[in-house]
Amino acid sequence: MRIRFWGVRGSLPVPGPRTERYGGNTSCVEVSSAAGTRIIIDAGTGIRRLGKELMRSEFESGKGAAHILISHTHWDHIQGLPFFAPFYRAGNKLFVYARQRDDQNLRSVLSLQVDSPFFPVPFHKARADVAFRELHDGAHFEINDVVVSCTRLNHPYIATAYALSADGAKVAYIADTAPFSDILFGHEFLAGPPSPHSLLSKSDHKTLRTMRSQVVRLCEGADLVIYDTMFTPEEYRQTPHFGHSRPSDAVDICHDAGARMLALYHHAPDRSDTEVDAVLASTRKEATLTARKLEIIAGFEGLDLALGKQG
Amino acid sequence: MDVTFWGVRGSIPSPGPGTVRYGGNTACVSVRLPDGELIILDCGTGARNLGISLLAGPFGKGKGSATLLLSHAHWDHIQGFPFFGPFYVPGNSFTVYGGSRGERLLEDVLERQMAAQFFPVQSFHNMGARIEMRPLGEDKDVRVGSATVRAHANPHGPTPALAFRIDAGGKSLVYASDAGYGTGGPPQAALDLYRGVDLLIHDSTFTPEDRALRLERGLSSLEDAVDCAARAGVKKLALFHYDQDYSDHDVDELVARGRRWLEGRAAAGIEVLGAAEGLTLSL
Repeated sequence: MRIRFWGVRGSLPVPGPRTERYGGNTSCVEVSSAAGTRIIIDAGTGIRRLGKELMRSEFESGKGAAHILISHTHWDHIQGLPFFAPFYRAGNKLFVYARQRDDQNLRSVLSLQVDSPFFPVPFHKARADVAFRELHDGAHFEINDVVVSCTRLNHPYIATAYALSADGAKVAYIADTAPFSDILFGHEFLAGPPSPHSLLSKSDHKTLRTMRSQVVRLCEGADLVIYDTMFTPEEYRQTPHFGHSRPSDAVDICHDAGARMLALYHHAPDRSDTEVDAVLASTRKEATLTARKLEIIAGFEGLDLALGKQG
Repeated sequence: MDVTFWGVRGSIPSPGPGTVRYGGNTACVSVRLPDGELIILDCGTGARNLGISLLAGPFGKGKGSATLLLSHAHWDHIQGFPFFGPFYVPGNSFTVYGGSRGERLLEDVLERQMAAQFFPVQSFHNMGARIEMRPLGEDKDVRVGSATVRAHANPHGPTPALAFRIDAGGKSLVYASDAGYGTGGPPQAALDLYRGVDLLIHDSTFTPEDRALRLERGLSSLEDAVDCAARAGVKKLALFHYDQDYSDHDVDELVARGRRWLEGRAAAGIEVLGAAEGLTLSL
């Protein structure tokens, strides 16, 4: 199984000299199996360069197939889709997956992005065959030789975590999520942090505990866990209602799940390359102090990992 | 008038080592008028850095006000809206002018970007600042402080894009992003708007060769930009809205070609420069 990172940034793309090394593109990770199944997780601006590369292969002649798993439809996870070149070549087969919603179907959510007046080319003019599949929390299915599992995350408007297994290896993708402790996120707008006096109800606590244990189960024995670690502890204290985690939350989950490697991911837009270096160093140090056998890396554009058996 | 570029890229932000000098953020330009008023031209991702710099002043205390002029609603011209810090400080006040036929339409467009499916804030009404939307027609000038603002709708593929002229304190500038002129070149009304300005910021997305391959995009080539500058007799031309795939080196080439052409057209004296993030021009 091969994992390549095309976009590692959260919120919005941040070009410039401060982000040159880790990269300024928003979320996009490519997973391909030895047998050639191609899965793309999230379609932030990073997917544009992936699309350009794919157009140098069978996608150029309209013979490509790819499966795009969307964690949720916040901009930084879908904004690259209109710039994904394989969409515009007849014959290519693209399968887009995301969590089922009560209020709006996936196709219409994604259509809005390319409707007038926002974008000049509407969906029906994208010439590839595009199919949509909506997933329920906890869905478990196969894409050719890759086994996919999903579970719900704790994020405004709700996001989905994915685990992919193939070639004797497993990768889990956990973005975006808040820790499973202080706020239970749903569809409502949160104007600020919860007041110190408003305690979570018993049932909310229980929901969060269950959610966390399902995330741990999803990550169980994973060779790689890619995790939303956007916040420093101080930032989390100030804006817990934004729905993102700290590195320590990711380390805890990896520890409980017995995962082998953690990739810090969804770096804050303000985080410079040197600051990401520092976050990585301190996360490693803390994890060592607690004697946890976990390899920790920080995702960067161009990171290319081989897991399990290679084709 | 001080003009500062915060985003100069077209279509989609293009981070990476190849774009660090000119910058990879999408369209946003600020204009500080002699009387201190602030006008913001378009709200691409460059608006985020503009917002960060403004928060150090009155906008950080909820005492700021500014006018936003939106050329059109393609993503690269509005996607910085949810990330513009001063919108989140109660007390700040903004007037947003756009080209739709009524304020309801403009509101609807910006509100769709903020919707729960796409952004956690869910509505611009949740942002804190006072944001008022107003339509801007071609028929009527608008006053912003000491400045007069006039708009002209350029063709831009399936939708028009507004070009804006700002006159203040005896100085003038035009912002003409996303202009896809027909085979006859710029229409007279466009040239009239651009006539004699101190600074013309003009769409220069492509080389002429690349534009020929992508005519349907409704964007200008360097040649269109230079042609407008020469025919309208402007003093300075800033190339703008570079293709997302152009590296700093490619933009250098674009600027050098522009200079050679203007010299060849006996329009020497018009200064050509490539707009770059962080560059401020004082008129």
